[in-house]
Amino acid sequence: MAPPKLDPEANVQAVTAQTSGILGRQIAARLDRITLEKVTEMGFANARENAPMIAEAKSIAALQDAPLTERLDALVIAAGPSVHRHDFVKLIKESGFNGAILATDSAMSLCLRNGIVPHLVVTLDPHAERIVRWFGDAGLNEGALARDDYFARQDMDPKFGEDQLRRNRELMYLVNENGPRIRIAVASSASKAVVQRIVESGMDAYWWNPMYDDYDIEESLTRKIHTLNGLPCVNAGGNVGSACWVFAHAVLGMKRVGLVGMDFGYYSDTPYIKTQYYKEILALVGPDRLDEVFVRIFNPHVGLEFYTDPAYLWYRDAFLEMAQRVTCETYNCTGGGVLFGPGVHWMALPEFLSMCRVWPAHTTEAGDGQDSIY
Amino acid sequence: MAEVLRGNFTPRKRVVVDDATEDLTSQFEREALKRLGGSIAFVAKKKFLYGVSNTERDEDHGASEAGS
Repeated sequence: MAPPKLDPEANVQAVTAQTSGILGRQIAARLDRITLEKVTEMGFANARENAPMIAEAKSIAALQDAPLTERLDALVIAAGPSVHRHDFVKLIKESGFNGAILATDSAMSLCLRNGIVPHLVVTLDPHAERIVRWFGDAGLNEGALARDDYFARQDMDPKFGEDQLRRNRELMYLVNENGPRIRIAVASSASKAVVQRIVESGMDAYWWNPMYDDYDIEESLTRKIHTLNGLPCVNAGGNVGSACWVFAHAVLGMKRVGLVGMDFGYYSDTPYIKTQYYKEILALVGPDRLDEVFVRIFNPHVGLEFYTDPAYLWYRDAFLEMAQRVTCETYNCTGGGVLFGPGVHWMALPEFLSMCRVWPAHTTEAGDGQDSIY
Repeated sequence: MAEVLRGNFTPRKRVVVDDATEDLTSQFEREALKRLGGSIAFVAKKKFLYGVSNTERDEDHGASEAGS
């Protein structure tokens, strides 16, 4: 009896389904250590360079002495793709939300373009060249764009991919105009270029150290950086969006924190080339194994499948780990992405905004029965 | 035979196997993986703050005082 005829296409699909995301999960499981190796040297070098300025500046302890708002509600605006797809910033602006608004450096431009000056912007990534683009980069030119096409590809703010030199000039103007009204929590790990933009635009800077490791262990890097500059250390959760959330409840004492733009993933119609680490992943595994690195996750709250990469998956896992040990109520109002699980309420943004208007911020009754915990 | 192949004597000098190829591969992988790393570290600790004197405001230290 002749063996059954194999359909090559079906076979490829079956193999792909079996291996999908496996490598990505393996890499994500190692990102604690990998990230520490990646950022320590740069973060410490930047901290040493920033030391003279830090010695003369305020720390985030000063934020605790002067509340940003009278309310105990906060909204974190990050730069995930949902924030653009749903035009959330316009909705926030029109809602008259009167809690504290915290924005990632990557979402600051979007906020300012829509007439929102966040109560607090957070920046932390030590990258020498990329992060300053969120502030407007005085050194940007055609050569720099040719060397790094990250902003042409990224999906965090589509405006950054269009006519980049003109957009950059416009952003510099916008940041300079609003700088004196912007408080920024700037990590000692921030690059020289970012710090320079903060200073020249007149932002009100509050300094802090990111935690690097367990402060209880021998030879702790966290204790070492604290000894170096005396700044408070904050567990930033691996990324600036999570850091905003940590600031909201642990530093500012907010009781209800809503999240928008915290996708930690991509819509299924996003091509791999538009993802954050596409070039790095391509260099690591080649074009034939991309499906093994990207992890697909079905979001039951919106009934859609999203996919994520190892770094975002690590951010998600870290966030969910942190969310289970806080007393603040966390509401993910992103409307998409992969951040759902224990400790995170899923809620539509209009509902969150409405809840904050109606219910006293010091109670948690509003959350009861109106949302799902995950 | 297997005993002979495995070696049935003690060499005068310690034999070091040259694993330079493996080292290069590991090195490439480590450097490539570093580029996939996050923006900053995540520390799996209960407390969110360290080195904030009396006003520390985390879950172990009276979050209810926040904003006051």
